[in-house]
Amino acid sequence: MPVDTKRVRGPEVSQSPSLFLCKTAANKSFTQKDARVDGRQRGQVDVRSVFVRCGLISQAKGSAYIEAGNTKLICCVYGPREMERKDETDMKSGRLMTDMRFAPFSCRERGSWIQGSDEKDLSLMLLESLRPGVCLHKYPRSQIEVNVMVLENDGSVLAHAVTCASMALADAGIEMYDLVLGCSIRQESATYLIDPTYLEENGCNLASGSGDNFGSLTVAFLPSLNQISGLQSDGEMGEDILTGGVRTCIEGCFKLYPVIQQALTKAVRRKAPPSEN
Amino acid sequence: MATVQVSEAEKVYILHGVRDDLRVDGRGCEDYRHMEIETDVVSNTDGSAKVSLGHTDVLVGVKAEIGKPRPMVPHEGYLEFFVDCSANATPEFEGRGGDELGVELSNTLYKVFNNRSSIDLKSLCISPGEHCWVLYVDVLLLQCDGNLFDAISVAIKAALFNTKIPKVHLSENEEGGKEIELSDDPYDCMRLNVENVPCIVTLCKVGYRHVVDATLQEKACSVASLIISVTHKGTITCVRKVGGGSLDPESIFEMTEVRQDPPPPYSSSCHLPFRPSQHISTGFPVRRSNCNRFV
Repeated sequence: MPVDTKRVRGPEVSQSPSLFLCKTAANKSFTQKDARVDGRQRGQVDVRSVFVRCGLISQAKGSAYIEAGNTKLICCVYGPREMERKDETDMKSGRLMTDMRFAPFSCRERGSWIQGSDEKDLSLMLLESLRPGVCLHKYPRSQIEVNVMVLENDGSVLAHAVTCASMALADAGIEMYDLVLGCSIRQESATYLIDPTYLEENGCNLASGSGDNFGSLTVAFLPSLNQISGLQSDGEMGEDILTGGVRTCIEGCFKLYPVIQQALTKAVRRKAPPSEN
Repeated sequence: MATVQVSEAEKVYILHGVRDDLRVDGRGCEDYRHMEIETDVVSNTDGSAKVSLGHTDVLVGVKAEIGKPRPMVPHEGYLEFFVDCSANATPEFEGRGGDELGVELSNTLYKVFNNRSSIDLKSLCISPGEHCWVLYVDVLLLQCDGNLFDAISVAIKAALFNTKIPKVHLSENEEGGKEIELSDDPYDCMRLNVENVPCIVTLCKVGYRHVVDATLQEKACSVASLIISVTHKGTITCVRKVGGGSLDPESIFEMTEVRQDPPPPYSSSCHLPFRPSQHISTGFPVRRSNCNRFV
């Protein structure tokens, strides 16, 4: 386990103050009321409104920033670059490399700069979600690097990372079959919460222990081609709940699609040289 | 994952065969290879199992140690998974080569067991907030011929079934601190209830159909696979899509339906101490040798 030796994190017996906080927060009932904490409805496809902007980072080939509620992510794309000749077998198509990191101040608990296994797992999921969308055969012997940095984690990070990364790829001019959009859902026995916040994702685990159909699901979707490029679920769900959840996530992705398209067209217009009239 | 090179002609052959429900080794699309499970193979561990699924060999050892419970859940113990892809399996795993695959497998196992009902974690608690049992589940890949997830999940289930956790007695010593005593009798131990431990089923999309228990050649012809972890009641604990291709939503729904096969006739005939999930039990002969039966 890599240990951060450069920082002194206090004596071994020290505990985080949030441990003592969670008992009072769990009393706030997440019962089957209709309204969620931020005013959205349960059981309906009510995704958070997003703010997206492309082309923020001048050094990168392409970049994008997304804000959904309090979740903030930034992504930059570098490439296509020449790939170091590690293995000769893979020379016909390019390679996509993804890296997803959390800033230490992004979650409630301070994280470390060293990449943990969670981040590696998320990077792998991001790679699998983006790969079907990118025309890698057009970039032989090259590699395209996608770096996502989570600035603030308020739930459904992977879903928004997928959306942000595909916008950054489009901003970089990488050829793609379609945009990849992500959406996640939190299942709570009878109802579901689409695009859950951090408290909704984690708070339910502690509050209600028994009963089935508690889980979360993240779907990465290509809207024009109607293909699912990434699927990950957690917790326990019945089969029909799972298929219902996938359909709901697909609906959520369709809701996001026009917003992302608009943001991209704006970015392209901004970049285009002014026409002489 | 360890890969083989498959020529275009072989790919076409495999695709056409799968289309007609006939695979290269004569199985149908939903048939498993011959599986052998042995438990209690390593005497130094608290529980162990070895599974051979075709040419894939997996060895799992479980060791129980006393540790401090996680701060957020003081009344529960926990499991730690570690998958080691040894260089015995394929030369690709030499040195650090197998690390990526090992990390991917461990992370998936964490997700599979990340729910309330797979393992009763409360039974692993010794004294809340201070001591609990930590089960270190170590998986060793001996031979790799495709379908690692399924073999690993069955091996873990068998090893957890085989795990004997010693019973502890808490007593107070002079200063008021707690002292833990393990009983001297080696047969005085606690067993885990593995009824709800899920098994993983990997469905590979080959052409327009999906196959279960794909070999390395079939994996080379598929663009994407779906890993579904399911308990014997039919609850899905984890779904994950792996691979660089995309799947149609309809094929995903079809794949999740495939799991709902009728319960097998053989689980009632042979006295299995644990019942594998419904899907896996369809049609493959499981030979249990050298397993100790506990009444």
